[in-house]
Amino acid sequence: MEKITEESDYLLESIAPELSGLNFSNNITEDAEHSIINYIYYYNGAGVAVGDVNNDGLPDLYFVGNSIPNKLYLNLGDFKFEDITEKAEVAGKASWQTGVTMVDINQDGWMDIYVSAVSNLLDFTGHNELYINNQDGTFTESSADYGLDIASYATQAYFFDYDHDGDLDVYIVNHSVHTTYSYGPAETRNDRKPLVGDLLLRNNNGKFEDVSEIANIYGGANNYGLSASLADFNKDGWTDIYVCNDFHENDYYYINNQDGTFTEKVDEAFSIISNFSMGSDAADINADGLPDLITLDMLPEKERILKETEGDDALYFIQQRLRKLGYKDQFARNMLQINHNDGKLFTEKALMDGVAATDWSWAALFADFNNDTHQDLFITNGILRRPNSLDFKKYVASAFKGRNQNDGLAWLFKSIDSMPSGKVSNKIFEGNSVTFNNRSGKWLNDEPSLSNGAAYADLNLDGNLDLVLNNLNGTASIYKNINPSPSNYISFKLNYLKPNLNGIGTTINLYAGQKLQSKSLYKSRGFLSGMTDQLHFGLGKNNAIDSVVVIWPNLKKQVLTNLESNRLQEVNYVQDLEDNSFRAAKPGKAAFQKTDQMEFQHQEDLYNDFLNEKLIPYKVSTMGPAVAVGDVTGNGFDDLYIGNAAGKPAKFYLNNGNELVLTPIKVFSNDSIYEDNTAVFFDADGDGDQDLYVGSGISKRGDANYLDRLYLFEQGTFKRTPSSIPDNKLVTTVVKANDFDLDGDIDLFVGNLTESKHFGSSVNSYILVNDGKANFSKLKSFKLNSKVNDAIWKDVNGDGRSDLIVATEWDGPKLFFNTVSGFKPKDLPSKLNGLWQSVFVSDIDQDGDEDILLGNWGLNSKFKPTPMTPLKMYYLDFDKNGNTETVIAYHKNGSYYPLHSRDELASQLTIIKKRYVRNKDYALKTMEDIFTPYTLNEAQLNEVHSFASGYLENNNGEFSKFVEFPYQLQLAPINSFQKINVNNKEHIIVGGNSYRSNNYQGTYSALKGFMFSSLDSIVPVSNFGIDSFKEEVKTIETISIRNHKILLIISNDGPIKTYRYEN
Amino acid sequence: MRIRAFFIPIALGIITLLHYSCEPKEDIEVAARDYHLLIDKVTAIMVNDIFSPPQASRVYVYPNIAAYEALNAHSGSYKSLIPQLNGFDKNTKIKVPDADTNLKLAALLAYMQVAEKLVFSEDVIRTYRDSLTNQWASQNPESLKKAEAYANEVSANVIAWMENDLYRETRSMPDYDFFNQDPGRWQPTPPSYMKGIEPHWAKIRPMVMDSASQFKPLPPPSFSLDKASKFYRELNEVYQISEAIRADGNDSEEIGIARFWDCNPYVSITKGHFMFAEKKITPGAHWMGICKIASLKSGADFDLTVLAYTKTSIALFDAFISCWDEKYRSNLIRPETLIAEYIDPTWQPILQTPPFPEYSSGHSVISNAASKVLTSIYGDNFGFVDDTEVPYKLPERTFSSFYDAATEAALSRLYGGIHYRSAIEEGATQGENVGDYVNNKLQLNKESSKTKDMITSNH
Repeated sequence: MEKITEESDYLLESIAPELSGLNFSNNITEDAEHSIINYIYYYNGAGVAVGDVNNDGLPDLYFVGNSIPNKLYLNLGDFKFEDITEKAEVAGKASWQTGVTMVDINQDGWMDIYVSAVSNLLDFTGHNELYINNQDGTFTESSADYGLDIASYATQAYFFDYDHDGDLDVYIVNHSVHTTYSYGPAETRNDRKPLVGDLLLRNNNGKFEDVSEIANIYGGANNYGLSASLADFNKDGWTDIYVCNDFHENDYYYINNQDGTFTEKVDEAFSIISNFSMGSDAADINADGLPDLITLDMLPEKERILKETEGDDALYFIQQRLRKLGYKDQFARNMLQINHNDGKLFTEKALMDGVAATDWSWAALFADFNNDTHQDLFITNGILRRPNSLDFKKYVASAFKGRNQNDGLAWLFKSIDSMPSGKVSNKIFEGNSVTFNNRSGKWLNDEPSLSNGAAYADLNLDGNLDLVLNNLNGTASIYKNINPSPSNYISFKLNYLKPNLNGIGTTINLYAGQKLQSKSLYKSRGFLSGMTDQLHFGLGKNNAIDSVVVIWPNLKKQVLTNLESNRLQEVNYVQDLEDNSFRAAKPGKAAFQKTDQMEFQHQEDLYNDFLNEKLIPYKVSTMGPAVAVGDVTGNGFDDLYIGNAAGKPAKFYLNNGNELVLTPIKVFSNDSIYEDNTAVFFDADGDGDQDLYVGSGISKRGDANYLDRLYLFEQGTFKRTPSSIPDNKLVTTVVKANDFDLDGDIDLFVGNLTESKHFGSSVNSYILVNDGKANFSKLKSFKLNSKVNDAIWKDVNGDGRSDLIVATEWDGPKLFFNTVSGFKPKDLPSKLNGLWQSVFVSDIDQDGDEDILLGNWGLNSKFKPTPMTPLKMYYLDFDKNGNTETVIAYHKNGSYYPLHSRDELASQLTIIKKRYVRNKDYALKTMEDIFTPYTLNEAQLNEVHSFASGYLENNNGEFSKFVEFPYQLQLAPINSFQKINVNNKEHIIVGGNSYRSNNYQGTYSALKGFMFSSLDSIVPVSNFGIDSFKEEVKTIETISIRNHKILLIISNDGPIKTYRYEN
Repeated sequence: MRIRAFFIPIALGIITLLHYSCEPKEDIEVAARDYHLLIDKVTAIMVNDIFSPPQASRVYVYPNIAAYEALNAHSGSYKSLIPQLNGFDKNTKIKVPDADTNLKLAALLAYMQVAEKLVFSEDVIRTYRDSLTNQWASQNPESLKKAEAYANEVSANVIAWMENDLYRETRSMPDYDFFNQDPGRWQPTPPSYMKGIEPHWAKIRPMVMDSASQFKPLPPPSFSLDKASKFYRELNEVYQISEAIRADGNDSEEIGIARFWDCNPYVSITKGHFMFAEKKITPGAHWMGICKIASLKSGADFDLTVLAYTKTSIALFDAFISCWDEKYRSNLIRPETLIAEYIDPTWQPILQTPPFPEYSSGHSVISNAASKVLTSIYGDNFGFVDDTEVPYKLPERTFSSFYDAATEAALSRLYGGIHYRSAIEEGATQGENVGDYVNNKLQLNKESSKTKDMITSNH
């Protein structure tokens, strides 16, 4: 007996071609003139479209072959298909074909087929083709009749009604083939180029006209378009467009202006985007009614491949130039963009959700494969050969010798098989409307493949979504969904008005079981592929649907109730519907109003840690600004000091009760050579006014200028006292004042993070005892050797003495009980080492005592340390050349691997270059292999057990339980907590983000600012009229003026933002 | 027993062949051509390993010194270099070899032992050495053994000294600060935008100069975009010249000159996903090639050949240090960056801009230093046909003297669109100063006259 089906517990079961009759294989052939060397997208594969071409109720399949005939298969039911290509005459005429979508272009009720082609490149001829359905099983290519015979480097076509005139227009994604040599400035995108620029074509009574230019669609030589996703991102009823661009060109986020034009807003709305953006999909995945977005990239998950292929590290040196040319920082990984605030801002959380690294990925499709009401995520994968193999690149570079271009290219083609294979299994993730869980290998086999285009559809009408994939050099895959769990569903087919009978652009909001599901009908999705014209909703265990709201393309609202589940529901448009009311501007006055109280710009100097210490994971030279708040003049209103980075003077603002007035202080200008990291106002000399201690960080000027400073307030101004504090050249991150010894004068805690150019070093922090006359000496009995970021004095055990709580990194948080007999370290939960950035005290669990809030690095990171598998940092002068090195190692599959690529490690440790000649030799070498256990044993080792932020629960002065914050507060490092009264209720406002990291990590920018009165009611600050935080927020402060208060959001390397609010 | 000729009658210009007695076993014969082959081998390896120009000068100099010392440490034709080079412990005592040691053979072996330490593809050198030693062993294993023992002694001393030249330390020093965007400050250039190479080369110990900055050139013209300024006029000259040359077409003399002297090991070509380094020799390798041409043409014997390579490579080594010292002092921006930004956004230089600051011109400095030294050995007006670049598909060029070649090499950078005139003119002076200093400082001939390591030739 021949085995024709796999035996497995897979949700999606592969149907063998012998059984299905589906034997299409997108085979490509290569020769010296046609290969990935002459055409960078030679391995991108082709699409598949699903739709009912014979109106028998069963979705049929159309596969595109890049250079072989396309095929149309009729669905005979029960996963049996018949190849009718020949009779149908739909094999395609163009030399190189790519995307496909089905659309009823002539509105006769029969599906037509539109195929994209690459033309005028190499010797490729032809144009995009439109197969009009003759309603008899045959088709006629008629693209020219419609003006759709586009001859360009086309990727895929997206039909929708952009101008709300009732008919279907089309957006065509084209791709450039310019080499990476052709980095022009970002403005290149304004200079429309034929063949490569994207096109928007307006349907003018059946003739399509190019309106790209007047609609403000970019179309420059840097337009490497590989997909688009249509959605009404800003919830105004008009379809917007997100376009994925490969390479250095930004993605485009086009907001529909409702007047026939678009405005591109990717820079405004997205903090971080994929670099090599490929496929994409838009859908509401968190049940808030707003479409979210995923863009795919090519970050490998396997350790070997990570070390053998070019990654983000290689980008570091070109990013500076790309920035100058006007491009956005981009990182090579999938990005999951959660729609925040009606499309105005997206929060990226793919790393947190575990969907960032799926290797060389093409199609992304959100759909509910297990009908549990949550959107799942399917991703196709694989590239025939990996052109970014480091060894291949090096081999090519070093074997090219003495050849002219043509000979060289011919030789290169002969070497093409030395490029390593990039077969990778497809991935599937189960969604739960909060995050995703990897079900690859469980829901779906994990055989490596080369899958490109993909489409879902209920092929056997059993209520489950099946999957069809177009594979390169392999037979197409068809997966039958055998969802075993008893779950319910409903599908909708829309009957709208001519000339948009299928109702493309319609949104259905389905309410069931206290939950909203929102889906919109756009047929081209994922990568190069087209879905059916039905919308499928899983209902889970609940088969009762509360109501369904259909918002038609003309923005009329139709409400359906008493719908039966587990069936295909047709919805006919009816006349005399009400207009849907889209969310207008928020009613009422926001609690916070932006003011221009003060102009302060923090500006970092040009010191760059990575030039000196190439292996460190993040900078420690950009820790400012220093902020101190205190009533210096004794008028009852707090004044403000903001210290700048080296080269810019600190500013002092006097608060006269009505406003904050910039007041020049000579000594601050003189001391602008210092990098101000932290500052505190306190009465140092007991004269009743406020003096100032400023802690310094790293600047370009060298460590003679790293000293901390004490300024006494005398005769109306500040004067620096040269010698009353101990010299401190370490990187000071926090200074906190308190009369800890209750002797009537104010003492200080001085927290140090590290020593300049010795990232891994642990350094001493200390308590300075005041003799009452502003002479400070270190408290001998207090010892703290660690890496300190923040500290707070607070009596947490109720004995009337302020205790000291310290946030450290590569170490655990520290709590010192201040007792009559000195500081006593308090035991905290073990295995709590983190990269603790901030500490705060508040009764967060509202049980009457003070808990300790701790800001960590957050869970939205490539690093996933656990207590059992901590992140490790080794610090030693490994090569004994007088300079220390800091090497980070992460855990994977039972071993520890260095974070860095061979070349990066070799840039600091030359021996690596000789020891591992090829990247292949270096890949999968563990820390022990590379450095020997003996040397590692010599090194200082620090570990991090978790990146989660959270709080230590106070239980009668015991702090033995650490509680992680909810996911919103894990999106990025937390740098600041502050208490704030809003509407007479105490809230905590949280800020953070970090732009300090190396390229391996990328930027952390997803913590857009949150406020909460309790942890189960966390809301974005934007709900209160505060701008979402895109910056690296360092400090949040409030200052009272007569009649109202001012909220200050103070960021590193950016302007201060101020808001006025009532108490 | 082998009789060694201690004195070569230089004044007569006669090359004295070494005399061998007839022993049962033939001794291993070593001639100048063996040395040339060895240098060629190292050049080939360096092309493959992609050494930067300053690094390449280091790979040439130490093996040459080892070979030279194997010949001359005790009793050779010329004076030992050990007391004359910076950083060599004055108490260094290389053990006296056995009386019948084949010193030429030891010179080749010492050369290879040191070279193996310097290249990345050490296995290539090792394979080459093994093939030679196998052959020598079949000829006279005892002689080989003695020569090897002495070569080990010499090379161990040279390597110990070499390892303290601060090269290793400079490997992991900070990168060039490309975040600093001051106007006029060097920025990485197309197409591969490499970070500045060897920003700390001036820290390497020179051979004879008392410091890297001993021959510091005048500062470059002050950066200015004022059209009347000297700087801008020189910038515009680069643009105008390249436009004029282009108008003359690819076969113009100037384009020929620019390409002939390109010697940029970093030239890269991008095709699709790939970037190829179009392999080229370094400028130092080109002058090693000229040294070979002159040695062959003049019929120099083994010892003089080794002297010529050694002295030339010393001049090149110090010249690179002097030049790199200035490059990362002035950190001057390349014409390509400015022309693209202020004059013609589509402009590209005829040659690819190499990845380091502009001032002074490396070709100008090192070519003039090398030409001074070669003239001191083989005389002025030494005409020659330069076929060094033939393996890289470039034609031959004919020169009437070493100075003639150096002058053309310097000017080629202006034609290539990668240097301003001041870098070429001041660079030439800088190189001449280095060359003169090397000539004055190194006393190689056993007779006292300064010019005596030159043999007069009738060319």
